[in-house]
Amino acid sequence: MSTKRIVLLVAALGAALFIFGRPSRAADGNFPIYFEGAKLVVKAQTTNRTLYLPVIEIIEFMGLPYTDSLALETLTIRSGNSRLVVTKNSGLISINDQIVFLPSPILRENDHWLAPIDFLSRGLTRMTRTEFRYRPGTSRIFAGVVQVPELVMNAQSLGSITRLTIRCGVPVDLKLRRDEQNNRAILMVGRAVDPLRERLDHKDRLVRSISFDDSDGDPKILIDLTNQVADIKLNSTDGNRIFFVDLLRKGETITEAPVPAETPGASPKVDPTQAARRVRVIVIDPGHGGMDTGTKSPTVLEKDLTLSLARKLRTALQMRLGATVLLTRDSDIAMDNEARSAVANNNQANLFVSLHAGYSSNKLDSGSSVYMMKEDFGDGFATAAVSRDRLFLPWYLGYRLNQQASARAAKILQDELIKAISGSRFPIRTAPLAVLSSATMPSLLLEVGNLNNTVNASTLTDDGFQKRLVGAIADAIRIFSETEQRSAN
Amino acid sequence: MPRHIKIGLIVLVIGFGVSFGFFVDVIGRIQSMVNEREIEENPFTPPAQPLYEATDPPMSVKIFFPGGSDDALLTTEEQTIFKSADVTNRAKQVLQKLLEGPHSEKLYPSLPEGTKLQDLFVSEQGIAFIDFSNTIAVNHPGGVLNEMATIYSIVDSLGYNLPEIKQVKILIGGTEKETLAGHCLLLLPFQMDLSMTDVMPHEEKTAAFSGPPSAKP
Repeated sequence: MSTKRIVLLVAALGAALFIFGRPSRAADGNFPIYFEGAKLVVKAQTTNRTLYLPVIEIIEFMGLPYTDSLALETLTIRSGNSRLVVTKNSGLISINDQIVFLPSPILRENDHWLAPIDFLSRGLTRMTRTEFRYRPGTSRIFAGVVQVPELVMNAQSLGSITRLTIRCGVPVDLKLRRDEQNNRAILMVGRAVDPLRERLDHKDRLVRSISFDDSDGDPKILIDLTNQVADIKLNSTDGNRIFFVDLLRKGETITEAPVPAETPGASPKVDPTQAARRVRVIVIDPGHGGMDTGTKSPTVLEKDLTLSLARKLRTALQMRLGATVLLTRDSDIAMDNEARSAVANNNQANLFVSLHAGYSSNKLDSGSSVYMMKEDFGDGFATAAVSRDRLFLPWYLGYRLNQQASARAAKILQDELIKAISGSRFPIRTAPLAVLSSATMPSLLLEVGNLNNTVNASTLTDDGFQKRLVGAIADAIRIFSETEQRSAN
Repeated sequence: MPRHIKIGLIVLVIGFGVSFGFFVDVIGRIQSMVNEREIEENPFTPPAQPLYEATDPPMSVKIFFPGGSDDALLTTEEQTIFKSADVTNRAKQVLQKLLEGPHSEKLYPSLPEGTKLQDLFVSEQGIAFIDFSNTIAVNHPGGVLNEMATIYSIVDSLGYNLPEIKQVKILIGGTEKETLAGHCLLLLPFQMDLSMTDVMPHEEKTAAFSGPPSAKP
């Protein structure tokens, strides 16, 4: 009978766990905090979807005295005459007797005080005047006045080699080390940097993954290699601001990066150093993505077509201009328009091109057009803002900075497209486009074809046509960069 | 049966009952999130008022539809509404004509199938606030030019025929949306733009339309 009791008890317990039990902890990991001239690596943990950091380690590193009261379940931190008190399981903290709210409570687990990441900016910053900068999604914090340059990584397959391009805002001393045991290449960065992306989506015959890692406090780029890599070459340019890491396949000899067979048209080889000074960063935006398929034909979705065109254009531009070319998305993900132009703004791009496919109710139309932002968009609002002496304009009026350059770029693109694709007109139109409105550099949107026209849709998916189209766009961007350079001189 | 077994069984049954209820509730919530659809009919909507009186005189209007010409994105079609005293009612009649679609076979409907006009009012500053059902965005086939045709057929049809309306602000499903189908920004009110149509502005045509859609991509 006692067995039955135990079985019943276990069953009841199981039911209770099923009902009330929640997974509370998700992941742990190392989290470096960069101070001026020093760094601290702490163990962060995620509890109830909030990132928690150990408080004592941080304040001890900052040299702040504290009192840990077991009886009151409070922790008192002092800095000069300021006093900060936190209480176990409470989201309220007291700074000099003023109450501050945290989005998540302070925890005390196994004699360790754990605070949500907002505790640093809302608590410690107010007390010590040390600023903490954290970008959600990353795993590092920059504290105080430490100036951190951005690091941009970009990878591409160029026939038998794979090239990783690394750009940094300041000169860096990049060191290459090959770890034969784990079959990986390690690029030690040598200083604190803020990587734009933690991981690249690139994967090919030579590379399994490329990621940034500073979990031990030493910033480095890890390249997981396949068995086919014979040699790795590291070259730098632009005063150690741009690095090219070339991975060579076994059985090949390294001379220089060959022009890939898929590069449209005959592309003259350009010295990357020279070209980089004209148009250094170009951001290509493949329209739509994820749940937002854009327009569609029975055979193709706009989001897939634009991504395919953007990838081809990236390769063509990197070869012809040697410029850094970034895609707003390199996979099938949804993005809002502001995030797309933010990629261009945050990378200080010199040109932003958004690619789209068209749709017309008239099946005979093909509707290819080059678009610029509508000149008078937001006129009333801008005038009202200026008349009230406002210092700041809404973000969606950012396009006003470069309207003339956008018009020059549009004309060049139209000319090149007409030359390359006979019988087409590619009219330049203006529209109140969300994706261009907040771009603070010359920006264009190219809409090609009509997916409601089946012949047109199959032309657009044809590899030969795509190469011609991409070749014309790349030529136009090269000419635009040259004319801009001339006018700058 | 011994008493403690009965109690144990009751506890077990209650436990399973509660967990089953919890499970059903979670499934229901997930389904309601997935199937969240707009409410088609508001039971508290008052009966529709007529948009015009029997004594209102007829009024000729130009309704803008895509197609019809190689030189313009939008082409006008003459239709007749009734000149009701209230500009809101006249605007609703114009939009009704737009929703019904063109009579000519050369022209195409500008609004996606199933689009409903939920509400419309005109502010003192002459801004017409139009609230369309979500179907205008959900059923929109996409394309920048096509989206422009949808928006400017509404804006130009109202602005051209009703001088009281200076600007048009489009709402979708009762709320402000960033774009209609991912391209054109709806955050600011639109002004009439006849440069892409086959009619001159009432004064003088200012900007020439840059050209028709090309024959080949």
